[in-house]
Amino acid sequence: MKDVLAAVQDIKCPIQRSLVFVEEFLSEPMCGKCHPCALGSYEALVRLKRIAAGSGLQADVDAIQRIADQMLEGSRCIKGKDTAKFLLTALETGAFREHLEGHCEEQECTQYVIYRVIPEKCVLCGLCQEACKYNAIVGEKKVSYRSGYLPFEIRQKRCVKCGDCYTACTYGAIEKIEENKAALV
Amino acid sequence: MANMVNLKIDGKDVTVEEGTNLIDAAETVGIHIPNLCYLKGLKGIGACRLCVVEAEGGKAPLIACNTRVKEGMSISTRTEKVQEIRKFVIDLILSMHPLDCMTCTKAGVCNLQQYAYDFGIKESSFTRKKFGYATDEANPFVKRDPEYCVLCSRCIRVCKGQGTDVLEFSGRGVGAKVVTAKDRPLQESGCTFCGSCIDACPVNALLEADRWRKGREWEYEKTETVCLACGDACSITVSTKDGMAAKVVAGAPEGSVERYICAIGRFGFDSNYSDMRVKTPLKKVGGELKETTWEDAISLVAKNLKSAGADAAFVTSGTILNEDALLLKKFATEVVKTKKIDSTVSLYSDEEAMTGDAADLDAADLFVVAGTAPDQWKRVLPALDAIVRKKMNNDGTKLVVINSGEPRIASAASVFLKGDEVKMLMELGQAMIAKGAKAPKEMVSALAAVNPSDEAMSAADIFLASKKPVILASPSLFKAAANLALVKGDAVAVPLEANAKGVVSMGLSSSGTKFRDIVSSSSKALYVVGELPVSKRPETGFLVVQAPHMTELASHADVVLPATSALESEGSIIDLLGRIKKVNRVCGPSGEARQNGDIFIAVAEAMGGALKPVKDADVKKAAKMKTKTAFHAFKKDAGYDIDAEAFAGDTTGSIIQGSRLLWLRQVEAASVTA
Repeated sequence: MKDVLAAVQDIKCPIQRSLVFVEEFLSEPMCGKCHPCALGSYEALVRLKRIAAGSGLQADVDAIQRIADQMLEGSRCIKGKDTAKFLLTALETGAFREHLEGHCEEQECTQYVIYRVIPEKCVLCGLCQEACKYNAIVGEKKVSYRSGYLPFEIRQKRCVKCGDCYTACTYGAIEKIEENKAALV
Repeated sequence: MANMVNLKIDGKDVTVEEGTNLIDAAETVGIHIPNLCYLKGLKGIGACRLCVVEAEGGKAPLIACNTRVKEGMSISTRTEKVQEIRKFVIDLILSMHPLDCMTCTKAGVCNLQQYAYDFGIKESSFTRKKFGYATDEANPFVKRDPEYCVLCSRCIRVCKGQGTDVLEFSGRGVGAKVVTAKDRPLQESGCTFCGSCIDACPVNALLEADRWRKGREWEYEKTETVCLACGDACSITVSTKDGMAAKVVAGAPEGSVERYICAIGRFGFDSNYSDMRVKTPLKKVGGELKETTWEDAISLVAKNLKSAGADAAFVTSGTILNEDALLLKKFATEVVKTKKIDSTVSLYSDEEAMTGDAADLDAADLFVVAGTAPDQWKRVLPALDAIVRKKMNNDGTKLVVINSGEPRIASAASVFLKGDEVKMLMELGQAMIAKGAKAPKEMVSALAAVNPSDEAMSAADIFLASKKPVILASPSLFKAAANLALVKGDAVAVPLEANAKGVVSMGLSSSGTKFRDIVSSSSKALYVVGELPVSKRPETGFLVVQAPHMTELASHADVVLPATSALESEGSIIDLLGRIKKVNRVCGPSGEARQNGDIFIAVAEAMGGALKPVKDADVKKAAKMKTKTAFHAFKKDAGYDIDAEAFAGDTTGSIIQGSRLLWLRQVEAASVTA
């Protein structure tokens, strides 16, 4: 279980933390000897993935609550119970409700954020375009002798939210914002 | 007598033996604690968590299948907390289980279906999961469909327990799959096709391969009877639909170590309906067997027997029922008036061994297997092999094997005394006496000169440490082996045919001419009953074969009389443990077949002698044990050495030829040559 905890220590979003925790738990320490834990944690993972993908419903949160409750009572060993406790702690944070509403406070659930070029800050250097492996950024590099150019823009349909452009931009001209808020802007 | 423990379950007072688990304890007062992975007779593993219960004053729920009763316990099996856990698990299992109860063969006996009903779960509230595992349908016996599996591991544990050990989990948790080594088809994995896993499966993941749309549980009529294919004489429960046998399962009580049947017992029932059945009397006309009427056949037989008189001979297999055996004896001695009458039992046993001691296999904590070599894989007394291994693996029973050869069971033994059986028995006896065991004077003096080996000494330690040793001996060694039982325990002679002990008790013993001599010498008329390990026509003026199947010997006969098969006969047998077992008629006779005894009565009548039908009391009177355990010289009875494997093959020939077991025999033959 130490490895599992180590894997989540740098993650802040409770959904992401739970997701990685359960994923790690299933891949190694889960022994599969009793049903509530073996079948329950797998189902919890399915539900967590759904919430992290932005398509979660209240039913998913309820299911995770039920799984955690019953795993705590019904599973045989400390590993199953620890996983249940971990989920219960995450459930207490209110992050699940926020996610259903479309917010990921920590901006760690990629489906909840979008990357955008701030036109005012962009110097048209083209570094972001070079960094993007998915060809999701359109725009023309500024050349001194030319006037009239296509501004840089991130095409959301192509964007996989890897964040490479965000780190590549040395001018702070790319921002990461919650998708819902973006609609308001 | 074991200590009794008092406790309360759901307010009811329960008194059970110490060491009983909570599920079994609750069952005694009619309370069912739900479970999927518990199987009576196996240790509870607490995997499915359906059997959670709450104890008064206890914090966490208890797992009923692996919690033993304690004095003064108070258990609640239906609290809200445990019902929620159960519902949760059923809900999860349903999320990965096909919801096709309407066409599912196991409907009606499926535990999952029952619990879904009990908890009112129409469909799972969890995400549907499907893994697309292929069904193993490559053999005609066991169909494995992993899509239905609920991961209870009953099949794995049953298979391990009986020593066949071909199943294992691949993966864990959701998506785990029960597989053979390297996920090969069953026939390439050392499977014996006993089908114990089918009986263990709570759902439709393991099923008889021929069951699709052949009727479901509520359409069956069930009959308790006995399999007569070999000396184990296992209890079986036969399900019939429209008068035809459709399914056979082990019939010994749940939890009993004897609850096992082999492939022949489970799947051999096809032979009841095979083309090889003799359905009408046949007589030889111009070198060919032609159909005839009962009247004609009987008068022909009667005429020939009458003219042969004392020169007529009778031989029977050791599988005919007690009642038929009694009638045969009377028919031969009183109506035909011949002394030439014997059964195949005299090929491997004398009379005394067949009327020996009884034993309780369930209570045994040590088996001494002397001379006899039960083997599930060779299908020689397979149930006995399975019983010994189950007791060893599940209850920690010890095993001492004494054999001059290298039988497969020896590899499982705690101590294997290899060498001349009588010598080894003497060494073991002397080792026990040397360690201070009390033995009769004659035995002490008979063994005084024996110098036991180290192995014999360690076997003696095991023997003396055990409480209820059971000695299983081949009949020829019975008297020598039974001497050990004078120190402690019981000894049983293990015959090769289902009713060997009954046939002998009913008086069909070689008081006159022995089987071997009858078959090898010439006679005026020879009357053969059942399937014998004889294929060539013995020298005789007139050969009558009375059997359910067209055997090779029958094809050489002058008259063939159609007898009912084991499933069509009614009566009783005496099994290897000396118990009278009832054989019940499962289905009506094929064609014009008649039961052996009825044929004897009819032929006797045609000869002018009257035979009265046998009453139960006659059988009981004849079945009374005659021998008292006394010391016998340490020696092997001579003249009883036969190849048990060949004998088993010969006497089950028509069952195998007439059923899907033929496929298995061919596959096995192919794998040997490959």
